[in-house]
Amino acid sequence: MARVRWVFLAYRLPRDPSGPRVALWRKLRRLGAVQVLDGLVALPLDARTKEQLEWLAEEVGEAGGDCSIWLAEAATAAEERALAERMAAAIAEEYRSLLNEARAATTEPTAQRRRVLRRLRRELRSIRSRDFFPPPEAEQAGQAMDALAAGLEAVAS
Amino acid sequence: MKWATRTGCHVDRAACAWLIRRHHDPAAEFLFVDDPAEVPSDATPFDMRGVELGHHGGDCTFETMLRHFRVDDPVLWDLARLVHEADLADERYDAPEAPGLDVICRGLSMVRDDLAVLAVTAELFDGLYEYRRRALLLGRDPA
Repeated sequence: MARVRWVFLAYRLPRDPSGPRVALWRKLRRLGAVQVLDGLVALPLDARTKEQLEWLAEEVGEAGGDCSIWLAEAATAAEERALAERMAAAIAEEYRSLLNEARAATTEPTAQRRRVLRRLRRELRSIRSRDFFPPPEAEQAGQAMDALAAGLEAVAS
Repeated sequence: MKWATRTGCHVDRAACAWLIRRHHDPAAEFLFVDDPAEVPSDATPFDMRGVELGHHGGDCTFETMLRHFRVDDPVLWDLARLVHEADLADERYDAPEAPGLDVICRGLSMVRDDLAVLAVTAELFDGLYEYRRRALLLGRDPA
């Protein structure tokens, strides 16, 4: 089986001020990047992920840090799997917390349920945008949204 | 003038090319490269790593360009919020149209080459500009 191609960002940022470090960490998290080691993060390679890491590299440079971007593949299938599994586990956790909120909302009054549905759908879109190895929880989360929406329709009719 | 950017144009580069032609250089000629080192010496690079007209301080290139050209048209700054969110989705702005614009541009670049993408998106941005212009004048979404 063909190996996944990855884009790596290797970076080092000054410890002070902490602002740029925190901002970078937040942005990496939103992209779904996996931390390989301290100062080394990876994403599966596509036109979007490469570009996004390139712009973060610019920010590292502007904050007085050093960085470089590499395209690579794991030397063994086991190493590749380990990285992919860590990403899937992290994203599964996000889906699970969404699922729990969706289930908890089914007993709420209609107006509250409608608000929760709107917020959870937005969150689901955001999680999906950084999900590269969809776990089973991905589909369950989608179904939970549909169930919540169907419940509201039943009330309306 | 010649302007160079990366191949595989997405929303930010498309919006920049439209802005360049509309407000700065109507006769602009665009070329596309895979590596910053391939930019010819007589071309101005944009939306690439390490160039002045790129992302800076969390801004996308369209925002950098508006600043660079000292554009104060409020409609263009309004469009910049949309381009920023379609490109970066970092939730700095509330731009509900952004995910749709992102998908439209991605889909276009799957079926058209870069020059054709710029041609189609130029029409799209003309329309978006007019829509947002009317919205700003009316203080609500135009019919």
